[in-house]
Order: sequence, then C-alpha cells, then structure tokens
Amino acid sequence: MPDSRSMRLVESALRCYPQRWRSRHGDEAAEIASLLIRDGTPAHSIAWSYLMGAARTRLVTGPRRRLGAAAGALLLAAGSLGAPLALLSSSAPANAASVVHSRTAHPRPADPRYGDSRPADPRHGRGRSAPDRCDRHDQC
Amino acid sequence: MAARERDDTGGQDVLRRAGDASVLILTSLADGSKHGYALIQDIKGFAGLQLGPGTLYGALDRLERMGLIEALPAEDRRQPYRITAAGVVALRAHLDSIERVTSVGRLRLGLGGI
Repeated sequence: MPDSRSMRLVESALRCYPQRWRSRHGDEAAEIASLLIRDGTPAHSIAWSYLMGAARTRLVTGPRRRLGAAAGALLLAAGSLGAPLALLSSSAPANAASVVHSRTAHPRPADPRYGDSRPADPRHGRGRSAPDRCDRHDQC
Repeated sequence: MAARERDDTGGQDVLRRAGDASVLILTSLADGSKHGYALIQDIKGFAGLQLGPGTLYGALDRLERMGLIEALPAEDRRQPYRITAAGVVALRAHLDSIERVTSVGRLRLGLGGI
C-alpha cells in the first residue's frame, strides 16, 4: 500500500475536480492512483496528471462554462493591457505639450492661401492669424 | 469543421482532432471492455507509453460525450467501458487514414509500401 503522504497528495489533486466528476470517478481514480504508486509511478507525477485533468475538466464541461472561461480570459487580457494603456494615456499630455513646443519653436512658413481669414489659434491668447505668427518668428 | 475532417474516401475521421490518448483507448477497447487501470496497463503493453490518469479520464469523458464509448455497470469501485458501434467506425476510419499516411511516408523514404 502507498504511504499516507503520497495518497494525501493525490487526494488533494482529486479535490480540484468538480463535485459531479468526483462523485462519479473519485473512488476509482483514488484506487488507480494507489495501484500506480504500488507499480512504482511517483505520487507527484500522478497528482500532477490529476491536477491538469481537473483544470481541463473545469474549462471544458459545457458551452456555458466555455463561454465563462472565454469571458474570463478576455477580462484577464483586458486587465493585463490596462496597465500599459494607462501608462500611455498618462504620458499623452506630455507628448501634446512637446508638440505645442515644437510648433511655437518652428512655425509653418506663411501661406498666402490662408490669408487673414484663417481661424484664430486657440493656443494663443490674442487670436493671431497664421501669417501674423510667422512674421513674428522671422523677426526672432 | 465536419467538412475539414471528412477524408477523400467519404469516411469521417472524427478522431483526427481527438488526440492520441483517445485513439489509444479506442484501440485498447477494440478487443473487449476494460476499466481505467486495465486500460493504462494494456496501452503500456502495446504502445509502450503510460497514460497519466488525468489524461485517461479526460479522454474517456470526451469519447463518451462523442458516443464512441459507453460506460458499463460499475464493478465495485471500477467503471468498465466498452467501444460502441460508432466508436468502431471512427477507429476504422482513423486507422485507414493513418495507414495511407504511413504508406506514403514509407514510399518516400524508400522503404517500400506496407
């Protein structure tokens, strides 16, 4: 007979199966484990096999479960993407600020197509038109 | 899916995606009903590999859902299974398919056909 520690390990793995599975296969699964241990199979290898089997059984036991597992995986993926996205969004204002800086530092040359009728740039308090800004830049 | 699993001889190889454990179990049950431990021992004897018990039960559940095996009344704590008529058809189709691939492989390796 296998020692009690080996059987406890196997029984712990068997407890990971759904109740319905255990009520049908539990006794036989424990007996198979005990016979395999007697034949020389390591208890941890049997426990691992049952553990993986339990995970598969819980994932594939019906369409509703599959849907739940898919939703869970989706949530997990969304959660793991959440952190990088949050980092990106937090750096967005800094990027925007650098864009404003570069525009003020190197403004577009005057384009006669815009003329004076071009809408005022909200970033500049006085509402100057494009040619006006360019003239000022040339003076700098 | 069914269309993809249908082979060019008209038979349907439903075991193509069922996994090796399922094929080994059906092969073992082809000569009579067996319970879990007997299946593990028989497969070890003819295929030289020991199925993990978790893998065995996963494959048994899948095959039972597919209607390829059925459970017989339990004997004490042991649950024997037997292959169904659909299981025989599926196993035959799968073995035919493997045989064709084996023949081509042997020919191409210059080992001659079976």
